[in-house]
Amino acid sequence: MTTVQGAKVPVALLTGGAAITLYLLFIGLPLIALLFRALEQDSFLEAMTGAHAMTGLRLSLFTSAISMGVVVAIGTPFAYLLARVDRPVVRLLDTLVELPLVLPPVVAGLAMLMAFGRQGFLGKWLEPLGVSIPFTVTAVVFAQMFVAAPFYIRSLRLGFQAVPRELEELSETLGVSPLRTFIRITLPLVRPSLLGGLALAWARAISEFGATMMFAGNFPGRTQTMPLAILTALESDLSVALAMAVLLTAVSVGILVALGLLGVAYRRDSQ
Amino acid sequence: MTPASETHGWLSTQVGNFSLEVVWNATPGEVLVFYGPSGAGKSLTLKGITGLLKPKFGKTVLAGTVVADSVSGCWVPPHRRSIGYVPQNYGLFPHLTVEENIAYGLWRWPPSKVRERVDVLLENFQLKRVAAKRPAHLSGGEQQRVAIARAMAPEPKLLLLDEPFSALDAELRRSFREDLRSLMSSWNVPIILVTHDREEALALGHWVLVLDSGKVVAEGAPLSILEQPPTALLARLAGVENLYRGRVLSRSALNGTMLCDFQGVHLEVPLVSLNKDTYVTVGIRARDILLANRPPKGISARNVLEGRVISVSVRSPVVEVVVECGITLKSWITQEAVEELSLKLGSKVWVVLKASSCFLVADHGRI
Repeated sequence: MTTVQGAKVPVALLTGGAAITLYLLFIGLPLIALLFRALEQDSFLEAMTGAHAMTGLRLSLFTSAISMGVVVAIGTPFAYLLARVDRPVVRLLDTLVELPLVLPPVVAGLAMLMAFGRQGFLGKWLEPLGVSIPFTVTAVVFAQMFVAAPFYIRSLRLGFQAVPRELEELSETLGVSPLRTFIRITLPLVRPSLLGGLALAWARAISEFGATMMFAGNFPGRTQTMPLAILTALESDLSVALAMAVLLTAVSVGILVALGLLGVAYRRDSQ
Repeated sequence: MTPASETHGWLSTQVGNFSLEVVWNATPGEVLVFYGPSGAGKSLTLKGITGLLKPKFGKTVLAGTVVADSVSGCWVPPHRRSIGYVPQNYGLFPHLTVEENIAYGLWRWPPSKVRERVDVLLENFQLKRVAAKRPAHLSGGEQQRVAIARAMAPEPKLLLLDEPFSALDAELRRSFREDLRSLMSSWNVPIILVTHDREEALALGHWVLVLDSGKVVAEGAPLSILEQPPTALLARLAGVENLYRGRVLSRSALNGTMLCDFQGVHLEVPLVSLNKDTYVTVGIRARDILLANRPPKGISARNVLEGRVISVSVRSPVVEVVVECGITLKSWITQEAVEELSLKLGSKVWVVLKASSCFLVADHGRI
C-alpha cells in the first residue's frame, strides 16, 4: 500500500510539474520574445514616448476610465439585483448579461453599428437631432463597455451572493436604513470581488480591438486606442509597434496589480 | 392610548403553505419564551415582530407605541422600530472589530456618548480583552456576548433572542445561561427567547408560549407547562421521555394513589378523578427513574419492576439506559452510576419509581 502511494506522489508531481512548465513556457515565451525584440531596437525609448504612442495611450486611458466609471455606476446596482432577487425574469437577465462574453467582438461592433449607425434602429432617430455616435470617442467607450461590463457584473454578482442577507437585515434592526446598510455592510464585504471584477473588466476594455475597429473606426487622436495604434504602426515601423506593445502591457499589468494590491490590503485588514 | 409599558402583539400570516398565528405579550424585565420543535414558526414570529417579514394581518405594540397594525395600515420599517435582535448564528459583521460591532447601532449618538456606552457594555459582557479583535478570532461564547451587547447597545424597547445558546456546547451553555440570567435581571427590557431546549426555558423563562405548526398550543408558567405537562400534545412537545397509555384497575383514597395497568405492568400513580376501567395516559421523566442491580428491599417507592437493559447510550452529561420490563422505560443516570451498577446490555435491573414521579396527562391530542 505504502509503495503504491509512495510511487503515486512522484508521478503526480512529475505530471503536474511538466504541465505547469509547459504552460508557463507557452505563456512566457511570446512575452519574453516581445520584450527582447523591443529592447533590441535602437529607438525603443523614443518610440515608447513618441507622439504616436502617447496619443494612443492617452486615448486608451481616458476612454477606459470613462467606460469603467459607467460600468461601476450601472453595473453595481444591477449586480445587486441579480444577486438578491430570485424571479424567473431576473434569472433570464442573468444569462443575457453574460451574452457579450461569448459574442465575437467584431460581431458586437457590427451589431452596435446596426443599432446606433446612421441607418440603425436608434441612430435613425438620433441623426435628425444632430447626434451621431459611430466613429467618435463615445463609440470607443460604448464598445469597451459592451465587451467589458459582463466581467464586472459577473464577479460582483457572485460577491453579493456571498454576503448573507441576514447581515443586512441585522443592520436594519440596529436602526440603520437600507441605503446606509448597503454602504456600511454590503459594499465593504464585496470589496475584493468588486476590485477583482473591475481589474478584469478594465484589462478587457483597454485591450479592446474588434468592436472598436468596427464601430469606432481607426482615427488617430479620436478613436485610435493603443491596440489599434499598434496594428497601424506595424504596417510602417515594427520598432514603434513593439515599443507600444510593451507600453500597453506594462500599463495593463500596472492596473491589475494596483487593484489586486487594494484587494489584498483589504483582506489582510479584515483578519 | 396604551400605557407606555405595554409591549404585545399578534400576527397571522401565510408563508408558502405554512400558516402562522401567534398572540404574545411581553413584560419589562421578564423573559417570554417561545418554546417548540423546529419548524414550529418561532423564528418566523420573531421576524414578524422585527418587521423583516411583513405579516398579512397583525399588530405590534412596543412600549406603548404601535409600530405595525394591519387594520389602520400602520407600518414602521425595521430600522425605525428599536428592537434588539440576536439571530441564531449571531450575524456579527465580519469586517468590523468587536468594538465597532457594538457601536454599529449608535451612529446617531454623539461620539463621546458612544465611547461611554461601548465601554460600559465591554465591561459588563467581559469583552474588554477582545475589543479590537474581529469576530473570526473569537470563541463561540465571546461571539454570543458580542451579539447580545450589540443588540442592547442602542437601548432597544424589546430584545429578541433566537436560540442564543444553540451554537455552544452543553457545558458552556449552562455557565453562559447563568451569566445571561444575572445580566438580564438588571435590564428593564422585555425579552423574548426562542428555544427548543426545555432546560433553557425553565432556567430563563417567566412565561412560556408553546408553539407547534404555527399555532400557540399552550401558555403558562414554565414549571407547570414543561415539568408536568397537562396534555399529551404538550408532553410530546416538552420531550417527556416516557408516555404510557393504560387502564385504571383500582383506586386508593387512603394512599392518594390508583393502580393502573399498562400492557400487563402494574403501576401506582397519583389519584385523580377517574373511574375504574377508564383509560389514562401517564408521563414519567427519564431522570425520575431509579435503577438498582439487586432487588431493592425496605423502600418507600411504590413501584418496583424487574427488567433487562436493552440499550445504554451516552447523552452528555447523562447516560440513557433503556430497560425492558413489560413496558419500555428510558432512565437517565450518571456515568458513575452506570459503572457502579456495572450496567451492560442484557444486565438484569430493578426499576424504582415513586408514584408521584408519574404524572397524569389529559388524554386529548396525539401521543
